[in-house]
Amino acid sequence: MPDESPKKTFPAFSIKGLTKVYGEGPAAVHALRGVDLEIPAGELVVLLGPSGSGKSTLLNIIGGLDRGTKGAVFFQDQDMSAMTDRALTRYRRDYVGFVFQFYNLMPSLTAYENVALVTEIARSPMDPNDALGLVGLGNRADHFPSQLSGGEQQRVAIARAVAKKPTVLFCDEPTGALDSATGRSVLKVLKNINEELKTTVLIVTHAAATADMADRVIHFADGGIREVVENKTKRNPEDIQW
Amino acid sequence: MSPLNRKLLRDLWRIKGQALAIGAVIAVGVLMLVMMSGLVTSLDETRRAYYERYRLADVFAPVKRAPEHMIADLAAIPGVAAAEGRVTGSALIDLSGRDLPLQAQAVSLPEFREPRINDIYLTEGRSLESNHPDEILLLQSFAGAHGLKPGDTIAATMNGRRRILHIVGLAKSPEFLYTVAPGELVSDDSRFGVIWMSRKALEAAYDMEGAFNEALLLLTPNVRLPAALDAADRILKPYGGTGAYGRKDQTSNRFVSEEIDGLRTMSTGVPPIFLAVAAFLLYIVISRMVQAEREQIGLIKAFGYSDFEVGVHYFKLVVAIAAGGALAGCLFGIAAGRAMVNLYLAYFKFPFLVFKLDPAAFVTGFLVSVGAASAGGLFVLRRVFALTPAAAMRPPIPPDYSRAGALGKALDAVLDQPSRMVLRRLTRHPGRMAGAMIGIAFGMALSVAMIGIMTGFSHMIDLTFNVIDRSDVTVTFNEAMSDKTVFELQSLSGVIEVEPVRVVPVVLHHGRNSHRGVINGLVPLPRLNRAVDSRMATIHLGKGGIILAQALADILAARPGDILTVEVREGRRPVLFIPVAGVADTLLGAPAFMQISALNRALGEQNRISAACMRIDSIQSARIYRTLKQMPSVAGVSLKSDARAALQKQMDTGAGAMRYIMAAIAAVITFGIVYNAARIAYAERARDLASLRVIGFTKGEASFVLLGELAAVTLGALPMGAVLGYFLSFGIAKGFSTDLYQIPASFSPESYGTAAIAVMGAAIVSGFLVKRDMDKADLVSVLKTRE
Repeated sequence: MPDESPKKTFPAFSIKGLTKVYGEGPAAVHALRGVDLEIPAGELVVLLGPSGSGKSTLLNIIGGLDRGTKGAVFFQDQDMSAMTDRALTRYRRDYVGFVFQFYNLMPSLTAYENVALVTEIARSPMDPNDALGLVGLGNRADHFPSQLSGGEQQRVAIARAVAKKPTVLFCDEPTGALDSATGRSVLKVLKNINEELKTTVLIVTHAAATADMADRVIHFADGGIREVVENKTKRNPEDIQW
Repeated sequence: MSPLNRKLLRDLWRIKGQALAIGAVIAVGVLMLVMMSGLVTSLDETRRAYYERYRLADVFAPVKRAPEHMIADLAAIPGVAAAEGRVTGSALIDLSGRDLPLQAQAVSLPEFREPRINDIYLTEGRSLESNHPDEILLLQSFAGAHGLKPGDTIAATMNGRRRILHIVGLAKSPEFLYTVAPGELVSDDSRFGVIWMSRKALEAAYDMEGAFNEALLLLTPNVRLPAALDAADRILKPYGGTGAYGRKDQTSNRFVSEEIDGLRTMSTGVPPIFLAVAAFLLYIVISRMVQAEREQIGLIKAFGYSDFEVGVHYFKLVVAIAAGGALAGCLFGIAAGRAMVNLYLAYFKFPFLVFKLDPAAFVTGFLVSVGAASAGGLFVLRRVFALTPAAAMRPPIPPDYSRAGALGKALDAVLDQPSRMVLRRLTRHPGRMAGAMIGIAFGMALSVAMIGIMTGFSHMIDLTFNVIDRSDVTVTFNEAMSDKTVFELQSLSGVIEVEPVRVVPVVLHHGRNSHRGVINGLVPLPRLNRAVDSRMATIHLGKGGIILAQALADILAARPGDILTVEVREGRRPVLFIPVAGVADTLLGAPAFMQISALNRALGEQNRISAACMRIDSIQSARIYRTLKQMPSVAGVSLKSDARAALQKQMDTGAGAMRYIMAAIAAVITFGIVYNAARIAYAERARDLASLRVIGFTKGEASFVLLGELAAVTLGALPMGAVLGYFLSFGIAKGFSTDLYQIPASFSPESYGTAAIAVMGAAIVSGFLVKRDMDKADLVSVLKTRE
């Protein structure tokens, strides 16, 4: 399905000269080496690259889980590098949803309650049932994580991430632990959310095929951006092979 | 080094905080065991060596007056290695600046040679020179209490004659480690002195020329004591022998033995409780630690290691922590034991120290710690081995909470999600939570019991000196006096109330049990010096029977209605058969009571008293003391306040002093348990907590999930700890009770309250420490790891 939507005019993130160094001296690892990037609001962006290329580091920094060593990250014109821990928590709580490779659900809470965990503290959340409906799990709300398959757990994680109606949704290898059929259904959910809720979605992956569904693909290598590709035609997740 | 062993070392390093906390708890448990057993063994050994080197007599045979040549007869008794006669007598020392004279015992030393038996240890000055009849050696502890030193002179009344004596030296003696004034229960260095003088001088002072009034015997090993006592009694009977007795009944040795036995009871009774609590904690902590390694175990197995190899690997980890703790406990225990022995050295007045350790304590400490740790480890490993290696290769299966049970609609409405997480964990892992709760409860129980002991000690003193004994002063006479003396005392201005007492030295027999002590003859319904029942009501002393203190009833295994055989050790020395009429609640000593007239009648002596209890007007006390000092029949005057202070001092420096150390150890264990519980809960939940932080929970909100659990477990442990503490108190109180005094298990709201506050305080501090780690945790790395 070709993308007919008009080009977004303002960036969700602008990143200038972002550097991240782990450790010191000769043992120092340069995870990011001066990254400059703009991510337009409302797009579905895929960060692609091999392990250790720096894509997850970038995601963690703009997700407010980590801080850069040098450079600046602006989220809606706010300098994130100047934010306090408390402000970063606020940022994660109010604007950001996360989806991880290993789901990170609370095993002691049901699917519904895992979502409610977030809606209870969010500013204007959707109903947890609606969020579960969005990922196709409306009928499994009362199940505990141990009673759900891997794909279902990941969809609960997505429901939990979107229930707060986040401005940005970050997904770190969301299909990494899933078989291809399940993985496709998860990607479909992410695409729907991007289109229906106008949420900016950032997906970090090393599965190149995922890139076909993105508005914009950012290729990472050795701590820097090798190239940024805007997809003229996006493919449906159902059609992706890997 | 094999990779597994390297992993072991790195694992140990990784969990060093937790390992240290576990090791510390077990170390403290072992420390206590090693310290206490080392202390007791060393004191025992030192006493034995002291007695041996200074040849303390095995038999003491007092007699009225026996000619010196009878010593040869005594030495000829089979099994007697040496015999010696000496002259002893009571004296009153009049120190300037004191209202009351002090009681003392004068003891002769042979002329021109060292004593063959009951040698002394000269600490200062020189020995006696013959031809100087006024030279004396003074007991060092007494001299020290009054600031007397060689070169000083003191005034003393001996056999009714006042004389000035020159102190030429100070001495210690195994015979006088403890000095107790006649009629008193508690040793007090300052109130009873020992004077050594030349034999000739004392013979002159007590009209004993060419005679002795006490024979001392040393026995060869393996001689039956009763046979030797009987033989000595037979030989001395014509000369007024009042009954030979063995070392066991010698006053000083009896007190020393009671104190050491007290420490021994404590060392066998109390440290095992502490160690058991520590071992239980170790079990809980280790089992949960190994549980947390589940994934890794699966992984190692997937590499091809056998169950056995993996088991050995984790066994080593567990043993390393337990053995490390036990080793530290042993080392610190030796150091602490040494320090304690040095403290007690001064208390027991031993001139030297034989430090000896009890290897059994090390072995027990090690076995208990390693055993408990391995049990904890193996228990979990057994279940983990049932896991296929594949479990580790798959994404982690979330712990199953579907069986946690519905919370109920009512709760659903009020609980937010974090509260549900807390609650579900409590209900889903009831075993784990109960383990933590019982652990904390035991910690609290230790605290409850130790705080209870503290109140028990003051309760005991309060009961003894304020409730049971209501007199201010006790006057003791040289010999049994007419009961008219009561009126004489009553007529003194400032004396409010006088009560006669007849104290008779006896040996009580019941079946195969016997006890050497005294019978206190009291008026039928005493008001000052009383025998009381468990409700603190005065026991009415009837005409026919004897009332035993509970401790004495226990020693004799006698109950009301039993008939005791009573050997009287003074006067005509009759043997009486007296029924037990009742049991009194006393906490100090093991006294027996009878009605004074019944006692006199049984002795065939009417209207005699040997002491009097008085209540006096404190404003006029100085004048009363001066008058008493002038009365020739008064052997001694003791103030209740002095006795109380002496007992307090003894309990604060003797075996009782251990309570402070043990209370400190209890506090350490309590804290250790709570802290470990918090650490483990954190280790198990680190991932959930990081996830909460990632999805936007503040540090405070995320820590609620962990601290809420800790709070719930702690609160649940409080009532359990109170109940456990109640039962533990009896065991610990028994451990602290000696033959000299009984410490009641006491329960006051304060001890529960204080222990509860201590536990909650420990929980708050532990929570704070864990929260600090939690706040520092790297969110990203926690999320990247699978478990």
